[in-house]
Amino acid sequence: MPFYESIFIARQDVTPAQVEALTTQFTDLLKANGGKVTKTESWGLRRLAYRVNKNRKGHYVMFNIDAPAPAVQEMERNMKINEDVLRFLTVKVDELEEGPSPMLRKQKERFEGEGEAA
Amino acid sequence: MMNDRPARAPREDGAEGGFAGKRSGSFGGGFRRRKSCPFTGTNAPKIDYKDVKLLSRYVTERGKIIPSRISAVSTKKQRELAQAIKRARFLALMPYAAQVGGANERD
Repeated sequence: MPFYESIFIARQDVTPAQVEALTTQFTDLLKANGGKVTKTESWGLRRLAYRVNKNRKGHYVMFNIDAPAPAVQEMERNMKINEDVLRFLTVKVDELEEGPSPMLRKQKERFEGEGEAA
Repeated sequence: MMNDRPARAPREDGAEGGFAGKRSGSFGGGFRRRKSCPFTGTNAPKIDYKDVKLLSRYVTERGKIIPSRISAVSTKKQRELAQAIKRARFLALMPYAAQVGGANERD
């Protein structure tokens, strides 16, 4: 089955618990249609580079997906309808990236750097 | 009246020659020998739209994509890089147009 990476941005007013609920909603939808989600990453509340629908920050969530195309289309359709999702992007990839994505790796490095300095 | 034209060349001869991974307003584009593409060869970083730190090295202060004749990126990689930057812009990880002199959140 083809591999995809999907990122969505939830608006800043939503609580982290609700963001997780949204994440499970989308992953369950994919599983129900015959796909699997190999990795889920939440990058947390980040400042956006520009205002999107009058929000300055958003919760970013990324998944790695291995699912047939109709499942992904269904997930995207639901993301479009959902009011809490500001933006989403699904990209087809040749292979799924193992391990943390550059975003989390950077955060981890910075955390460790601060730990050493202290 | 061609002689009256000032000697300001269309290329930007800045104080820095070549691109050393620094972001700056003016680039020395002119006479530096072409370095090899930073994305080809062994241990080359992979171009990923999520890696904002890597991508922001190939973008000017205003947020514009640096042409490959200045950054010495090969053609194929420049296309991938541009696509990655555009995806990052769509996801609000990078700005489309940055304000020079820091971002003042006026609105």
